[in-house]
Amino acid sequence: MSKAYVVHTGIITSIGNDTAACLQSLLEGKTGVGKAEILKTHWQNELPVAEVKLTNEELAQKTGVSADWPRTALLSAIAVQEAWTPYKDKAAGLRTGLFSANTVGGMDLTENVYKDFITDVHSVELKKIINHECGAITEIVAAHFGIYDFVTTISTACSSSANSIMMATQMIEAGMLDIAIAGGADSMSRFTLNGFNTLMILDKQPCQPFDNNRRGLNLGEGAGYVLLMSEKAIQQCNAKAICTVSGYANANDAYHQTASSPDGTGNKLAMGNALKKAGLQPADISYINLHGTGTANNDSSEGKAVEAIFAGNVPMASSTKGYTGHTLGAAGGVEAVFSTLSIRDGIVYPNLRWQTQMEDINWQVVTDLKTGQNIRHVLSNSFGFGGNCSSLIFSAC
Amino acid sequence: MLNLNLYINSAGIISGAGNNMSDGFLQQVPDYSAYALTTVEPDYKEYIPVMQLRRMSKAVRMGVVASKTAMQQAGIESPDAISIGTAYGCLQDTESFLGKMIDQDEQMLTPTAFIQSTHNTVAGQVALLAGCNGHNLTYVHRGHSFEHALINAKLHMQQYPGSHMLVGAIEEQTPNSVKALQYAGAVAKENYTLEDVLAGKLSAPVCGEGAAFFSATEQPLNKQSVKVSALDVFKADTTVAFERIKQFVAQAGPFDVFLSGANGEKTNHAFYQRISTELVTGLPVTSFKQLCGEYPVASSFALGMLWHRVYPGLQGNFKNVLLVNNHCDYYSCWKLEL
Repeated sequence: MSKAYVVHTGIITSIGNDTAACLQSLLEGKTGVGKAEILKTHWQNELPVAEVKLTNEELAQKTGVSADWPRTALLSAIAVQEAWTPYKDKAAGLRTGLFSANTVGGMDLTENVYKDFITDVHSVELKKIINHECGAITEIVAAHFGIYDFVTTISTACSSSANSIMMATQMIEAGMLDIAIAGGADSMSRFTLNGFNTLMILDKQPCQPFDNNRRGLNLGEGAGYVLLMSEKAIQQCNAKAICTVSGYANANDAYHQTASSPDGTGNKLAMGNALKKAGLQPADISYINLHGTGTANNDSSEGKAVEAIFAGNVPMASSTKGYTGHTLGAAGGVEAVFSTLSIRDGIVYPNLRWQTQMEDINWQVVTDLKTGQNIRHVLSNSFGFGGNCSSLIFSAC
Repeated sequence: MLNLNLYINSAGIISGAGNNMSDGFLQQVPDYSAYALTTVEPDYKEYIPVMQLRRMSKAVRMGVVASKTAMQQAGIESPDAISIGTAYGCLQDTESFLGKMIDQDEQMLTPTAFIQSTHNTVAGQVALLAGCNGHNLTYVHRGHSFEHALINAKLHMQQYPGSHMLVGAIEEQTPNSVKALQYAGAVAKENYTLEDVLAGKLSAPVCGEGAAFFSATEQPLNKQSVKVSALDVFKADTTVAFERIKQFVAQAGPFDVFLSGANGEKTNHAFYQRISTELVTGLPVTSFKQLCGEYPVASSFALGMLWHRVYPGLQGNFKNVLLVNNHCDYYSCWKLEL
């Protein structure tokens, strides 16, 4: 049985169009949260978002695909291209899969033509609705890069892409595939923005995860993928492993369709089972990349679950959603990239805009950039609607 | 080809040809009076408190009751883990929120429809009602959504041997989704009959929908358990698909019955006939889409039908079943042992 090694990454978020640019923003403490410019919405001036400040045409040019694609697919293609390009010509004969995830599908296009669609379906160009399905996003991206051996799409709300990385890891471990590009993508849409707004969990200012006075989350968009390889693939491709995906677990809170249980039942199960899978003790974890959305409910549940699992000895921990916003179906992929970089470069990212200690937890997030650290194991949390909770552990080789 | 070696021990099915709750599975002739086949739904009140039922969309109702039936038959209150496939997700609630958002210019909206619009709503509700804190995944990969949910079940059982899993699939149609599929030429605009489907006379398949949930384990739990011994999934054009199916038959055979996923559309019908005459010559052939219509997770209906030992148009008992399904170039080949 081979381990699944992370050998490369691909990412695009509001803080950068590739891995190097995102890392630079993380090091500089530069946030991507601001006024919506690309998304046209009633809430333009009221609800800040973490947008990629490129039009669909500009995004399409980066990979040479059609600008008629849904924005989620355009973002996905850019991150997949970065992750896959260095190795695509070296992988002949190896079985390669694309494991992607999203929540919004082609809704960014559908919502603009829906009114006309209802009135007269024939007045709508077919290309505006043909890629509406979540699975269509992955399908067109996989076809563009010629990846056919195994292609799938997972949709478990905010934990979606942590689950695609988990499944890809399992299939490499089981010898069913040699290479996997795994993560997810999501674009802004009015549908999602308004949906979260009705739940009254959007912050009208830049979010403050894990702050006692936090007000909610900011939505973000982007895509993030890790390139996973088996030992055999690493040898053939002459690749260098950065870390392994050593632990993973998925659990369900079974408490409420959108809210987390007060004590973080699902969160604790996900973290605990991921540690078991990795064969690690809580004390082995060097850094936790928190889900940390900035909502009262999430941060309280997650905070208590972390407190319970790490029992008085919480390692360095921070949420990076102050930089990227909550990128929903992309979040697990984006944060897997950040976790990988944390191990590679020995860094821990500050939790932006933190001011006041939360009253209901007894530990504190990291608020200054830490460099020169020996980061051996990173725990990355992704929790979402439907009670879906997933945790991944990345370990230095 | 994957050697899954999973056992399907029970089934909860809601389909165009009836359900296996209140009305006895396949006792009803599908209603072909419209251009799409809709499900014959059970009396939900027997399964779900009325207050909860009122808030549930068709997808959620069907999923919850199909899953409860599968769990009851398998004698469990709650599974160890849940794995679900749905290509379109919760369309009714998605359209409801989208329509209001546009009509009301993004103002004065309420959250219920949005909350229930996410693709993992059914899996989340099933977990919530069964109190299942275990692994929970939703696959949304077009015509492979259900197959991937099954592969995930296998992966989960490798990590947690002895798990009793609930694996299911759900697809709901709405007037607008059918309209969109008709516009894309993917489903029929005309009214057809069951005989037309069997004769392969259609210019486009009849749109269907349905829910099917199963208890899945690594060991059989009862005499009715069906073994999913091998599965191959791929997306391809017909030329490549034919060769791949040929390989599957050579590797996984011999078989003693062919369950065809033919949907009645002319070229689709001809393709399955070619499999029948060239790859499994002389084997008895039966089919299922005349009963449930065409939809991305229709293979789940076929599995439920086999669990009930129903072979439309054929008499007798069979041991090794070859199931081939194709939904818009998403193929799956199955070896099922009864």
